[in-house]
Amino acid sequence: MVVMALMRIVEQMAEGDTAEFSVASASELDLVRRWCEKTGNTLVNTLMVEQDTGQVTIGRGRPRNPGSMIPADRMPGARLWLYTNFHCNLACDYCCVASSPKTDPRLLGIDNILALVAEAADWGVRSLYLTGGEPFLLPDIDVIVRACVDRLPTTLLTNGMLFRGQGLRKLQAMPREGFALQISVDSPTAEVHDSHRGAGSWKRALSGIRIALDEGFTVRVAATISANDDPALDELHALFDGLGIPRSDQVIRPIARQGVAEEGVAFARESLIPEVTVTAKGVYWHPVAALDENALVSRQILPLTPSLDRVSDLFAQQWSSVTAASAMFACA
Amino acid sequence: MSKLVGAPLLVGAVAYTPNVVPIWEGIREYFDDPSTTMDFVLFSNYGRLVDALQAGMIDIAWNTNLAYARAVLQTDGHVRALAMRDTDAKFSTVFLAAAESGWSGPGDIATRRLALGSADSAHAAILPLHYLRAAGVDVDHMHIQRFNSDIGKHGDTGRSELDAIDAVLAGDADVAAIGITVWENIGRGDLMPGMLEPVWQTETYSHCMFTALDTLPESVYAPWVAKLLAMDWEVPAHRRILELEGLTQWVEPHLEGYDGLFAAIAEQGVDSRW
Repeated sequence: MVVMALMRIVEQMAEGDTAEFSVASASELDLVRRWCEKTGNTLVNTLMVEQDTGQVTIGRGRPRNPGSMIPADRMPGARLWLYTNFHCNLACDYCCVASSPKTDPRLLGIDNILALVAEAADWGVRSLYLTGGEPFLLPDIDVIVRACVDRLPTTLLTNGMLFRGQGLRKLQAMPREGFALQISVDSPTAEVHDSHRGAGSWKRALSGIRIALDEGFTVRVAATISANDDPALDELHALFDGLGIPRSDQVIRPIARQGVAEEGVAFARESLIPEVTVTAKGVYWHPVAALDENALVSRQILPLTPSLDRVSDLFAQQWSSVTAASAMFACA
Repeated sequence: MSKLVGAPLLVGAVAYTPNVVPIWEGIREYFDDPSTTMDFVLFSNYGRLVDALQAGMIDIAWNTNLAYARAVLQTDGHVRALAMRDTDAKFSTVFLAAAESGWSGPGDIATRRLALGSADSAHAAILPLHYLRAAGVDVDHMHIQRFNSDIGKHGDTGRSELDAIDAVLAGDADVAAIGITVWENIGRGDLMPGMLEPVWQTETYSHCMFTALDTLPESVYAPWVAKLLAMDWEVPAHRRILELEGLTQWVEPHLEGYDGLFAAIAEQGVDSRW
């Protein structure tokens, strides 16, 4: 009866509206996807609570022209993500790339990074994002950052816990212009954050933010929210406001069901606007799917141009296939 | 009736779903030109829409087939059909039964419990009985179950047709009469395999129609109709409107497609003022 229920729900919606719909099996999810394709509606995203059950979000109508919906700095190819490494001083229970102290580092390496960044800048990439793992575990992270910033605006994602000793000296050696740190804080108090990331991690992350601000860096904060936790968003924003971080630099996102995460938002390549991502193992569609073989674009990381071209082409095809579907409810 | 110079043409329609608003905003934007500028007014039901057309509150009504027929009957024919969707020119009713019923044609429907949509739905209530009768079925003695779920909307919501299908799926009815668009939007059986199958399908007939009174000057409606017919599927901005409204091309009126409905109204004594 999925189709009948979808018909009844969507009939009550205007173009662009979304509604949640429960699915009780993988076949029901597939049916929702097929119905949306057939009727010109949109499967916006999927949140699988357990293996085969969950919620899907349905949007009435087709997505508009990507240029009218997606900001220029989010269009495919505008951003390039580099996984500098995969090992980490933490072992967060929702990590989308399953990083931990025991994880194979899979270093991208300064030589590859230099070549990738040069090619990306020539291709038209507008900004770089360095992530891991924990990039501050790399002895040459300051060199990497300077090389990136020399070509493009760069953001470095970190847990902010290693700004001591060598880590602090590496931080201090990084440029202030054209560079930002994005530090993870998941909750307004230590309890939730530490339950996912480890005891004491919240306090050290807050300390890291203050150090980075005192050193004159632009700091963005990112909270990863679990559906099972009280998000306490007002308190979280108040915490960030109190640190002097503007709302535009406060990123709040759900857990992605990737890596070691057992819950969270399930993505398919078709439901993600691509942000080209390079790891030591290949080029991927999006940073939340850097271990996902379905999101693998190429095993060959250099030259990068063919992968950037391919992602752009695939996205254009994906968008047009959605927009080619017919509309539903041909009525008066 | 004559229009004030420069005043926008007013088109009336029925708000049967929230999606009507973006549809008409898109159409209004398309007509944003000094010679064809228009605005729209939404009514809660087709009775009010036809009344408003006759009262001169609106210049053109976007009528269902029943609303068009009522406008004709209430004005003694003093209306002008302007344009319709290509999909309106080849509408039909599909009779569905549970899969593997083995039934085929009106003879098999005659002895079954028939689920119909809202009484004012031409495609899901009035015309199904007309075409069954024309095929020799004694509809006056059929077991009929009506789902008047969206009275006033002339079946536009599709709700009453879904109710009729649900009755078949639940075993409370044997056959459901629905419009071809709902059948297509539930996947013609592809998305519900093993659940439903078509038993019979009527001949094609005409559905919705842009309708004016015959007093609306040609100088007023002609540029508007010409621009309407010029909407092009190959132009992305036009295609969005066409897709939302469920057509690929606007076409000239196919008035012969209403013969069955006028006959049905006479046979069934359908009230002329819902």
